[in-house]
Amino acid sequence: MAKASPWYRRLGGGATPAMLLLILMLGIYAVYEPSALTSFGISNLLNNAIVLALAATGLTIVVLTGEFDLSGAGVVAICNVMAATLSMGAPGSMGTLGLVLLVGLLVGAINAYLIAILGLQSLAVTIGSLIVCQGIALVLLPAPGGEVAEAIISGVTGDLFGIPIAGIMFVALALAWTFLKNTRWGIAVYAVGADPVASRLSGLNVPTTKFIAFVLAGLCYGAAGFVYSAEIGSGDPRISDSFLLYMFAAVAIGGTSLMGGRGGVRGSLVGVGILTVMQKMLFAIGVAEFYTNIFNGLIMIAAIFFGQLSPLVARIARRRPA
Amino acid sequence: MSPALQVNAISKRYGATTALQDVSFELKRGQVCGLLGENGAGKSTLVKSISGVVWPDTGEILLNGESYRPRSIVEGNRRGVSTAFQELSLVPTLSVAVNLFLPHPERNGLGLVLTRKLEQRAAEILEEHGVRDIKPSVLVGDLPLGMRQRIEIVRALQRKPSVLLLDEPTAALSDREWLFGLIDKAVAEETSILYISHKLDEIRRLCSRCVILRNGRKVMDSDVESMSNDEIFTNMAGRSVVETFVSRTPAIRVGLAPRLEVRNLKGPGVEDVSFKLAPGECLGVAGLEGHGQSSLFKALVGLSPVTGGTIAVDGIHVAIRSPREALKHGVALVPEERKSEGIFSDLTTMANISMPVIDGVTRFGLVNRAAERRAVGAVTPSVNLSERFLGYGIGALSGGNQQKAILARALISGAKCLLLFDPTRGVDVGAKQNIYAMMAAFVRDGGSLLFCSTELDELVHLCDRCLVMYRNAIAGDLPREELSQDRLLSIASGFRPQPDVGLAAASQKGA
Repeated sequence: MAKASPWYRRLGGGATPAMLLLILMLGIYAVYEPSALTSFGISNLLNNAIVLALAATGLTIVVLTGEFDLSGAGVVAICNVMAATLSMGAPGSMGTLGLVLLVGLLVGAINAYLIAILGLQSLAVTIGSLIVCQGIALVLLPAPGGEVAEAIISGVTGDLFGIPIAGIMFVALALAWTFLKNTRWGIAVYAVGADPVASRLSGLNVPTTKFIAFVLAGLCYGAAGFVYSAEIGSGDPRISDSFLLYMFAAVAIGGTSLMGGRGGVRGSLVGVGILTVMQKMLFAIGVAEFYTNIFNGLIMIAAIFFGQLSPLVARIARRRPA
Repeated sequence: MSPALQVNAISKRYGATTALQDVSFELKRGQVCGLLGENGAGKSTLVKSISGVVWPDTGEILLNGESYRPRSIVEGNRRGVSTAFQELSLVPTLSVAVNLFLPHPERNGLGLVLTRKLEQRAAEILEEHGVRDIKPSVLVGDLPLGMRQRIEIVRALQRKPSVLLLDEPTAALSDREWLFGLIDKAVAEETSILYISHKLDEIRRLCSRCVILRNGRKVMDSDVESMSNDEIFTNMAGRSVVETFVSRTPAIRVGLAPRLEVRNLKGPGVEDVSFKLAPGECLGVAGLEGHGQSSLFKALVGLSPVTGGTIAVDGIHVAIRSPREALKHGVALVPEERKSEGIFSDLTTMANISMPVIDGVTRFGLVNRAAERRAVGAVTPSVNLSERFLGYGIGALSGGNQQKAILARALISGAKCLLLFDPTRGVDVGAKQNIYAMMAAFVRDGGSLLFCSTELDELVHLCDRCLVMYRNAIAGDLPREELSQDRLLSIASGFRPQPDVGLAAASQKGA
């Protein structure tokens, strides 16, 4: 009846249209900006994309379970000001990394407790935690400033055996998710997002599944905040505000259903790629910067449109011989 | 030896309603016990209490003589209690194989679940249980309801439970003999089964004992053989309702243009279907599950694309691209899956019914509640839906009352042609009678019915004529005089239309 999906559909992790779009845009970008495909150009691109990639990965996991998480931008803000105020002091680079991840974990766990265990609505809870986190960031560092330790900057933006660290992180994210989604927990994530009632009757532990998702998401946001600090080298409690919409945009463009149960991290990574490359491409073509948002939005709508289109085409194709 | 399952005086309340009150019974090893009751009698709550989904407020359950208080389904499974739920507990976006092994699919040393291995195991398990037409790699959501029900049953059975709970297992099943075979086999292996069903013939075929619930209380617990059908119905309903079919005189209006005329209709799952439906006629549609009945109904109201052929309403050719357009031409569909396609579960019953005419009862864009009430009040008597339900959220109603509300909605739209898809599925005896009465009144007043049912006796008794579908096409068209369950079943199983084909042979082929 239903056949295994062909290779070209598996390539983008269910986000084939987005993948094609990314390749197209990379092509255009490369035509206008010859340095785009040099190792410097690629490394630059990856460094620009990795923060959003980490954050969008966390968000994707939560969205797959059928919940929302807006706290990501807040966690990034806290972690950024922490890195800018602590990393030159006693904790050092590694200590800062540990503390930052701990904060992400903590926020994730609080969200998780309120949503998965107490059953509160995720949208409302995480709006709350977003605002609280942004507030804490302002308390820690009321005005832009501070300094991030050089070791962090060079460690995160540098190379390892000639490969940019950001690229390694990208691959690691994709591989980690490929692994996780094939574990029992990963299967449960998709099941819970698609049909929580059936999942419960099937014996799946819905609260635990969601709990783990929120905690992992918190960790991802913490990591994103840390890497972000390395990219900009200082602290700014407000700079991550625009982040939130881009996280959701990346998830949606990557083909993950905001209703849960469908999609995946690989799609979101492609979505992050599209958002990043598009800005560069438009800049290279010479489109003024304030037009980029218009294109961002249009691309997102178009990507969702094509994302809807491909299952439709598949369904019609499948029915014909029947 | 202690009984396999012993339920002692359990009670369960949900807010103000008492779902179960002091219910006790015993299930002996290797026994099949029927559990009967109208919708809302507490059967599902009892099943959920035993399986670990809900926790009874008071009372105790003993399993093989030992205390048993499952806090989750998984714990129930571990203790050897397994359930096939009425609402089907399969996850639509996962494959058949993964669903079969939820919640704990086998994993390798790294913690990975290997799909290919699961699919192999699943294929073996399906084969063992006599399911040969379902591929383990297919997503459950892509399967028709009947196949999903079979997987639900296989999943419960493959855990080799000592106590098996089957909640309305034949509601969407066309081949009941398959299930009966499995049950006989399980019983031979000392499995104890609690069998919930509305269908008396199944209870008589399978069960030695039966328990009847009414309004959350046990009203009867005795041998099936010693009870007459009438006794059982009386106990279920608390009044004497016998599931009989009141014969009615045909109301077909001759000489008028057909209400609905379909010629060479083609589309996904529909191959070259032609028929005429006269005003005042009740035309049945029979067929084993997945032979195009559902596709045909969907094509008729524009839910799936029509690739060829014509549809004419009252002699005029029409193009129907959506249920809204169908309604404009007076054709209304009462869909198959009540829960997902039929009701707006967060709205009141009133709002659910008045939906099609809501434009007509507004003043300055606001709903005029009095006019709405009048409009709804005009149709609820025809389906015998009590006024007191109108203010409740429809989700709180029993299946039977929900179905009545959906039928009331179809009536209120003023449609002259109703397409009823299995309107009595999972509906209690009393509500069934109400639905039959509504159908009879509808055709008497000149309305037309296209009536698909999985219950052959309904088709035989209610229809003026019956189409039989096989492999997405019409394989037979039987007039009232020739209608019999055997004939319908043999044609539906792919035999050429000829009399005297035995039931047994037909059902074997159907499996």
